[in-house]
Amino acid sequence: MHPILADARKLLWYVLAWLLAGIGIAALLRLTEQAEWSGALWFALPICLVWSFVALSSYYVCRSLPYSQRRWPVALGLFGGASLLSALAWLGLGEAWDSMGRLVSHDKPFVAMTSPGWVMYFAAGFVLYLLSLLAHDVLVAFESVQAAARREAESRVLARDAELQMLRTQINPHFLFNSLNSISALTGFDPAAAREMTIDLAQFFRRTLALAERERITLGEEVVLCEHFLAIEKRRFGAKLKTALRIAADATDCLLPPMTLQPLLENAIKHGIRQVDGGGTIAVDALVRDGWLHIAVVNPVAADEAPAGGHGVGLKNIRERLAVLYGARARIAWQRSETQFAIEINLPADKEVIE
Amino acid sequence: MSAIPPLRALIVDDEELARHLIREYLQGHADIEIVGECENGLDAVRQIGALAPDLVFLDIQMPRLTGLEVLELTGRRAGVIFTTAYDEHAIKAFELHAVDYLLKPFSKARFDDALARARALHAPASPAPALDALIARKTAPLERILIRDREQVHVIAIDQVECIEAQGDYLAIHADGKCHLKPQRISEIEEQLDGTRFLRVHRSFIISLAHLQAIERPGPDRHAARLRSGKRVPISRSGYEKLRTLV
Repeated sequence: MHPILADARKLLWYVLAWLLAGIGIAALLRLTEQAEWSGALWFALPICLVWSFVALSSYYVCRSLPYSQRRWPVALGLFGGASLLSALAWLGLGEAWDSMGRLVSHDKPFVAMTSPGWVMYFAAGFVLYLLSLLAHDVLVAFESVQAAARREAESRVLARDAELQMLRTQINPHFLFNSLNSISALTGFDPAAAREMTIDLAQFFRRTLALAERERITLGEEVVLCEHFLAIEKRRFGAKLKTALRIAADATDCLLPPMTLQPLLENAIKHGIRQVDGGGTIAVDALVRDGWLHIAVVNPVAADEAPAGGHGVGLKNIRERLAVLYGARARIAWQRSETQFAIEINLPADKEVIE
Repeated sequence: MSAIPPLRALIVDDEELARHLIREYLQGHADIEIVGECENGLDAVRQIGALAPDLVFLDIQMPRLTGLEVLELTGRRAGVIFTTAYDEHAIKAFELHAVDYLLKPFSKARFDDALARARALHAPASPAPALDALIARKTAPLERILIRDREQVHVIAIDQVECIEAQGDYLAIHADGKCHLKPQRISEIEEQLDGTRFLRVHRSFIISLAHLQAIERPGPDRHAARLRSGKRVPISRSGYEKLRTLV
């Protein structure tokens, strides 16, 4: 909708401005002795009132030619042409209304203009429409600046929401509070272990926060993060949790999205090790072959345990993240047997370019 | 005055350090005797049955069975102090039903408070109706059915259930060619099941729509459902109407 029509206050001021222009035209007619005051006013005011609404169309003329893609010859042509057309219509309206004057006031027109008078009237119509175009142009520019500012604010809010969402999923409150509870227990009988666990927890969160901002990190960095995570989980689950990390030397500087391996280990503990009486070993293998980085995570599962729903959601998230970054070039597959769960990720073995 | 016998306590948590902390906090309380510790929900069900402790410290998120499932299976309703690190749903329910719980990590003072309240409640053996409501109140539709058979606990995944039949005070749950008995009312389980996957076709029968193979007409105005296993289940007139709108 037109911004002036949408707002009653703006519309009032706008119409008043046009009526003022009408008085101006009447004064001009009087000064050039084309008409008497009363006739000039009777003539000019109704026309300006009607024309104020016709001139609103200039908003759409301005909108049709956005400021950013405007070339001056085109703009001049369009504005001039629109003004000319509108001035012709304005002239027609003037003559028609003037002859209507015969019907209301003693069989004579409101004004008895000579040809130069009509030329002047025509010119006034041209100038008024051109002014209206320019004023609307300013309005459109102002609107687009406001809209851009709003869009920018909105996108900032969206970006921050996404970031918060990511942190929230990564900082698993369950893990945090249980770890704090373990530290609280350790302080009573093994203060040194409590201190180590506090440091592991701090390191884990510090690294999570630092790495989450980057698009890709090296596998070596991800493994350090995982080692802090596993150190904490080993305190919590004791001898139940054993790990075997076999990371090939040439795999450590391969790039991958942050928090790719860590959620796999978290899943392996939550849905695997914890559910198995006596626990077991999580095996992680990473190697590079033929330009591909292969990462495999294998963990035992309880034989009688129905596959839990939660497992699939986490894996689907990783699959989506990989798809966004690598398209069809990344592959993640998992399979469950009676006693174990295995996940394999294949990524292009990209390495950081050292300048 | 005769000596009051000590309260017998059972600690249930899958983390050794968490159990250790509770043991340590209990050291100062001479009137409490620790009779056992459990690492998982199944073990807890067994021990609660065998030891009949006065007080159970019960973790909610545990392997095998959750704390709430342990209560459901053992029928225990009093003398329970829940412990949890983080579980929005459980905590909301606790608040709603005024059930005491300890949020990990908790202080000694908070622990002593909970203990004092548990002692006061223990004196008259008052069952807590709050816990009944808490256990019956399941937000998500049932994903598995738990059945206690003496010392054993069977966990049946919901998609394996083909039909449920009311038999007196029991439900006969037919799944995987076997039949399990569980003391529960059919209307109660009907409420907990996913209405898009299960349908009460008769006063005493609920069938799984995934296991439905055909609707037969053994006589005028009489219908029966034939399930994939070959089992036939009678369908009442209103059950037939409901089935027709769904299938």
